[in-house]
Amino acid sequence: MELYRLSAAEIVTGLKERKFKCTDVVASCLARIKSQEPQLHAMLYVAADTAMKDAADIDAAIGEGRDLGRLMGVPVILKDNICTSSMPTTCASKILANWVPPYDATVVKMLKAEGAVILGKANCDEFAMGGSTENSAFGPTMNPWDVSRVPGGSSGGSAAAVAAGYAPISLGSDTGGSIRQPASFCGLYGMKPTYGQVSRYGLVAFASSLDQIGPFARTAEDLKLILSAICAFDPHDSTSEDRPAPCFNLSDAPLRGKKIGVLTKLVDGKLTADLQAAMNEQIEECRRLGAEIVEVALPKALEYGLACYYILAPAEASSNLARYDGVRYGAAYGEAKSLLELYVKTRGEGFGPEVKRRILTGTYVLSSGFYDAYYLTAQKVRKVIKQEFAAAFEQVEAILLPASPTPAFKLGEMSVPLTMYMADIFTIPVNLAGLPAISFNTGFSSTGLPLGMQLIGPRWSDAAILDMAAALGKKSEGRIAEGGVR
Amino acid sequence: MTLEFTTVIGLEIHIQLNTKTKIFCSCSTDYIGATPNSHICPVCTGQPGTLPVLNRKVVEFGVRGGLALHCKINKLTRFDRKNYFYADLPKAYQITEYYVPLAENGYLTITGDDGQPRRIGITRLHLEEDAGKLVHAAADGRIVGSSQSFVDYNRGGVPLAEVVSEPDLASPREAREYVSAMRQLVRYLGISDGDMEKGSMRVDANISQKVSDGRWGNRVEVKNMNSLKALERALEYETLRQRDLLARGERIAQETRNWDDADGITTPSRSKEESNDYRYFPEPDLPPLLLDEKYIEAVKASMPELPSAKRERFLAQYKLPVEDVLVLTETPELAAYYENVVKAGGDPVRSSNWVRTDLIRALKEQSRDIVDAPISAEVLAELIQLVDGGKISTTAAKDVFEKLLETPTTLEEAIRTCGIQIGAVAGDKLREIIIAVANANADVVEVVRSGQDKKDKKLKFLMGLVMKESRGQAKPDEVLKALNEFLAKE
Repeated sequence: MELYRLSAAEIVTGLKERKFKCTDVVASCLARIKSQEPQLHAMLYVAADTAMKDAADIDAAIGEGRDLGRLMGVPVILKDNICTSSMPTTCASKILANWVPPYDATVVKMLKAEGAVILGKANCDEFAMGGSTENSAFGPTMNPWDVSRVPGGSSGGSAAAVAAGYAPISLGSDTGGSIRQPASFCGLYGMKPTYGQVSRYGLVAFASSLDQIGPFARTAEDLKLILSAICAFDPHDSTSEDRPAPCFNLSDAPLRGKKIGVLTKLVDGKLTADLQAAMNEQIEECRRLGAEIVEVALPKALEYGLACYYILAPAEASSNLARYDGVRYGAAYGEAKSLLELYVKTRGEGFGPEVKRRILTGTYVLSSGFYDAYYLTAQKVRKVIKQEFAAAFEQVEAILLPASPTPAFKLGEMSVPLTMYMADIFTIPVNLAGLPAISFNTGFSSTGLPLGMQLIGPRWSDAAILDMAAALGKKSEGRIAEGGVR
Repeated sequence: MTLEFTTVIGLEIHIQLNTKTKIFCSCSTDYIGATPNSHICPVCTGQPGTLPVLNRKVVEFGVRGGLALHCKINKLTRFDRKNYFYADLPKAYQITEYYVPLAENGYLTITGDDGQPRRIGITRLHLEEDAGKLVHAAADGRIVGSSQSFVDYNRGGVPLAEVVSEPDLASPREAREYVSAMRQLVRYLGISDGDMEKGSMRVDANISQKVSDGRWGNRVEVKNMNSLKALERALEYETLRQRDLLARGERIAQETRNWDDADGITTPSRSKEESNDYRYFPEPDLPPLLLDEKYIEAVKASMPELPSAKRERFLAQYKLPVEDVLVLTETPELAAYYENVVKAGGDPVRSSNWVRTDLIRALKEQSRDIVDAPISAEVLAELIQLVDGGKISTTAAKDVFEKLLETPTTLEEAIRTCGIQIGAVAGDKLREIIIAVANANADVVEVVRSGQDKKDKKLKFLMGLVMKESRGQAKPDEVLKALNEFLAKE
């Protein structure tokens, strides 16, 4: 078997048992990347040389009988908004083209400490703003299950890479669904941990109070593995919580006796037929596995979540992205004769249209005279949404929702920004409430497109919802998109 | 009718807090004179992906300042972002406490123009980060005509406490008094060196004039005053300028003006600062700052004695005149030195005289700081005791003091090198001096001999003269003995 097909767990075991070498695994993944990249464009940077060198070092260490950690020899791909001191970090933006950070993100340090091999950086929507990876300044990524379709976004490259077999696991970031929706479009597990569970230090900020790093994997076992490696308190991130690391464990009957919430009234009629069928099927599956299905209500979350998010996220983004001024790093365009001209040229040419749209929106809602009406009101709504979820979680252990109203759509199909925004309706409230949620594959449509669902849990229930999602996703997990145009 | 004017001044002071590290990262704050951009890291240069972590020491210093200014300390505060573009501001926003300051509603007592104590209201004290510094390539260091500009981020992220006063100050002199009292306070608290010249205390003034005919001139903000003297001069200039305009019936433009110390005038600032919309919103990277009563009490308990309390204690404990106390309590270090002299046995009044005159003069001459005083408090106390005990004369003691300033040595050694040998004047030498003194003061000798010197006052007077003549080299008991013998004999 080709080594790129192995799961992370299989790689760790195989290396320990000296069944193969880490250099063989990495070489196989690099070859896979080389063969698939022309049609997928999932990567913005492939660190072939350093990855092979790291792999050789790992082989040497294994030869000496050393155990390098939970991810020993596992190839990992990172979304290009996670800072790496040995590779560029561009956020898929011209404004950061060729920028190499002077430091490693905390998660990168953790991965290295656990023996992972970083293969490269994955494409995404510019500054993680978008739901299709079409907003990348360096061109879109194609869905490996159907290259005429998008892989979702904004972590589309990270999702496509794992689905296509570039690496068994990758990291993305989720501000409004940017891990769960692409995981669903690409037939993977994708998890947005509880806000504060994984350090954001070194994640280039889009909307600080919503951003969260999380993993993609083809199997629940691998998701568990990577989460065990990155869920930890980080003193460099003041929003990271100093609490015992969650104990990820896959049990035999995680759904037995559990109450699972559904929102049939609000969801029905909003989904495509294949997703509606998948949803109904999952409800039955929950019952079959011993869970009780309880109808819950999140009326405000679903009605006002989008509006609330599209005020708060751009507000924070307008401030977070103000630092790209051409003075310290990144691109500086043209010959500027004044500071203002430097700003105008750098930002005018460096940012793409979606980023500009959000900066403008955010600047507007924070302006004096509008702050109360927009930002403050949205903060109040956010509080209400949190309370609504808290009330729902008094009745149920988790809520089952689709990750997206549709499976992967075609490139260029969602040309109106607002339509694209609307597609985030099921994922956004989770970020507003700071909850953990996991996306898992439930099967494929008649046309071969992955169909995904998500389970949402109360804060710090990360291990519990992973356990439940693993039981639901077991039947259809582990597949690799073979490539080729459908 | 002649118009009368009332000056109204409010001050905003940015005080650099002298914590070892910056407010949101672990870089050193010791940037003065450092190579540009040598005290920086990914956090304080605003590299993408970095996050701030609040330095708790900054909060402690802020609470100290707030308590000393009699403010209410807000137990729930948070940081906000002040958004604006400038090359010295790496994140393009400053992290500050805009919506809820750390401390508010306090006062600072100064001596008013009428000589009476006056409470100047403190609106708020809040914490924030300092910006970097622009260095322009033009010959005069200014941006105009400069072809290149450089940024030094060493100062970026140095902690600041901004203290905003109520418009309670009635004159440039009071403004100066207020800043001087604030400087003394932060030095006492050990939270800042309060040095205006070095920029660790930066003062912006808002000044306006109220006219007796009911008019009220617009408020003008004056910046760029780098010393107490400059502050007073700038405000005096601005007072005259505004009064002159108002007297002629003209309007005062509401603007920011820069003080030009060389020309002694204020000029309109070109900055468009007033039109900025800072789009403040809560800093999402920092959780709210919660302080409980226990913490505030602990900070309170750790606070040093404040200037006003120290002054009152000195008056009561050492029975010194007010003028002496003001000098001795100017800095906590000087006050501590004085108290150490007294503790080591120096008479409070004479110790005050030595410290206020001889020691301070010596420090000035040698440009030394009190903590680095050439003569220890213990040695000075010993010297004072020698004089008091009549062992050496005051004149001799001054010589010894000078000797100690010149070379670090022991008191005994200094006394010896001054040629003063206690006991060197005795026997015939001593008698010669006594005779000379008696001859010069025959009237006094007569009084003693006639038995009218009931309280030995005249005797002591004569003894003092003998000691002086012997330059402190006679032993007091021997002098007394010899003097009594002489007086009884003839």
